[in-house]
Amino acid sequence: MPNGYNGKILHVDLSKGSWHVEEPEEKWYRTYMGGSNFISYYLLKNLKPGTDALSPENILIFACSVVTGAPLSGFNRYAVGAKSPLTGAFAETEAGGYWAPELKFAGFDAVVIRGRAVKPAYLWIHDGKIEIRDAAGVWGLDNFQTLERLKEELQDKRIRVASIGPAGERLVLYACVQNDMEHYNGRTGMGAVMGSKNLKAIAVRGTSKMKMADPEKVKEIARWHNERIKTHPPNVGLSKVGTTGLLKGINDGGFLPTRNFKDGVFEGADKISAPAYHETIFHSNSTCYACAVRCKRRVALKHEKYPLDERFGGAEFEALAALGSLIANDNLPAVARGNQLCNLLGLDVISAGAVVAFAMECFENGILTEKDTGGRPLKFGDPDAMLWLIEEIAGRRGIGDVLALGVKRAAQKIGRGAEQYAFHIKGQELGFHDGRGKTGMALGFALSPTGADHIETPHDVAFQGDGVSKLFPMGLFDPVDPLKTDPAKMRFFFIGQKAWGINNVLNLCNFVSVPIHAMTFGRLVEAVNAITGWDVSLYELVNASERSNVMARVFNNREGFTPKDDTLISRWFEEMPSGPLKGKRIDPEIFRDLVQLYYDMSGWDAQGRPTRGKLVELGLYWLLEN
Amino acid sequence: MDVEVRLFESLKKHQPEGGKVRLAEGSRISDLLTALGISTDDVGILMVNQSDGRFDRLLRNGDVVTLIPPIGGG
Repeated sequence: MPNGYNGKILHVDLSKGSWHVEEPEEKWYRTYMGGSNFISYYLLKNLKPGTDALSPENILIFACSVVTGAPLSGFNRYAVGAKSPLTGAFAETEAGGYWAPELKFAGFDAVVIRGRAVKPAYLWIHDGKIEIRDAAGVWGLDNFQTLERLKEELQDKRIRVASIGPAGERLVLYACVQNDMEHYNGRTGMGAVMGSKNLKAIAVRGTSKMKMADPEKVKEIARWHNERIKTHPPNVGLSKVGTTGLLKGINDGGFLPTRNFKDGVFEGADKISAPAYHETIFHSNSTCYACAVRCKRRVALKHEKYPLDERFGGAEFEALAALGSLIANDNLPAVARGNQLCNLLGLDVISAGAVVAFAMECFENGILTEKDTGGRPLKFGDPDAMLWLIEEIAGRRGIGDVLALGVKRAAQKIGRGAEQYAFHIKGQELGFHDGRGKTGMALGFALSPTGADHIETPHDVAFQGDGVSKLFPMGLFDPVDPLKTDPAKMRFFFIGQKAWGINNVLNLCNFVSVPIHAMTFGRLVEAVNAITGWDVSLYELVNASERSNVMARVFNNREGFTPKDDTLISRWFEEMPSGPLKGKRIDPEIFRDLVQLYYDMSGWDAQGRPTRGKLVELGLYWLLEN
Repeated sequence: MDVEVRLFESLKKHQPEGGKVRLAEGSRISDLLTALGISTDDVGILMVNQSDGRFDRLLRNGDVVTLIPPIGGG
């Protein structure tokens, strides 16, 4: 038996009600390693270009990596991927928690799902055994009810469940997948793909132990890592206040998206930032498998209008911005309530907030009227309008049915000039980091194969001055200015993207891993080798990372994406209206030139297609015919 | 002893004149933060002489301390 991984990929065909187990050879695992690479491998090999993302032909993949489940902080994530119904492009979205280690302990490294069940079903994977079970008892239930019901039905409180809520069942294009009500594969609409397959949940339970090549060495690295987490400043902050601590810094810097990306400063930021959060709604910390950071928050509040339940998840930075600054709402209990509604109903809170902001700006400009909303005004700063819209979207009622399509398609459907307020990249709504204050992040949003995605890209503001020394092992020695758009910034982004990509290939949490947090590049290589028994180098990990970006790019090219899709939202080409960054903008011509420079550096042609040379370098011979 | 301080983003407003702070021997990073009026909650990244620092680290004459607020991640 191999070390670290099981050597087993489970393939399920829901149309036929059958499954089989594939046992790839070791060099396949060492080449692709996990996560986003497993997803793009199966999509490129098996999905016909042009396939409808919500048809039974789409392929849905839940992927761990060769190191997932090792007892190290942050080695607990999995990626869910398919062709995205929101963007039509390559999709992958990661989540932590306990589900991924449990799948590994149950005997599988990934689950590849095809077809559509005749009636609602869920998968039950336990110690190598597979059952496709009737989901009649849970279809229509929210995520929390589903979790509780499945524990009863399977008579095991220790099962781990990845599920969709009513929004996924009703094919809201940005429906998410969640596990244990605290961990969300939020982006790219994978909940809708699950819903389209009539697949409500995947319950897993495993009792086997993970076999590792050098368990003593893994223990030693874990002790070092966990000790460092206690004193390493970025991790100290995460342990103390989670990601809520970002809101103040980002607002003070002038790049907190506010009022549908119009502004970078929110006047109510203090009311929704870390001190207020911890004084008023904070209940307790929570964590993921084997992780010493404990960045997760639980919130509770007895409130007539905005009750909060500690079992339904606590808002993190992106949720605070999505349902707070972006819609000019400084009512913290309402923000946290909106987040819990998204969690229960199964909506990606980033896209949900962006859709609400889009609707509010349309309403304030007369593009949507009370005729469209059944008499309900939609005004920035109105928390009740936000909560109402979330329920209408998940229920696909009235205007909610249109907004369930995401801002791009909703704007097309509404017409009347709504497009000018629909902010997305490749069809996906943006995470909440204004590109005018983080130009490397802007490049990342433009060039991520999944559409705007803040997990796919370096955060350049963290590498100012001596901060850049965290990237010395990647050969980056010069600090970046977060406001510059020049070739040096592109070099930073190009190399930084490869560093971040390692985390998505190995399914590691950015909050404990390279390059910002407690793990170092050197010790990460040691950890991979102690787990797998291989002798990988940083070079090999960087190659695996680049492979994932290149394969996803080939997938998108096949689906018809071109350089014009590698772009930014119009507001970032305009001057920031106020705050510390007043007057800052990204020059569209310089931006376009940098995108071309990125293609050159990547070994892609002028149309953004990976060249024959690049495919051969990465050993992707099987893609040459594309 | 004198310590050089490099501050970024919203922490710039705490920049001491001449970029240097005089501290008693035996001072730690936490003492430097107190002298500058910066809370540890407002520090995301801390580098000392181009290496990762920690709040309880002892300072030496000539050390270069870089402080960046928490602004990366999501």
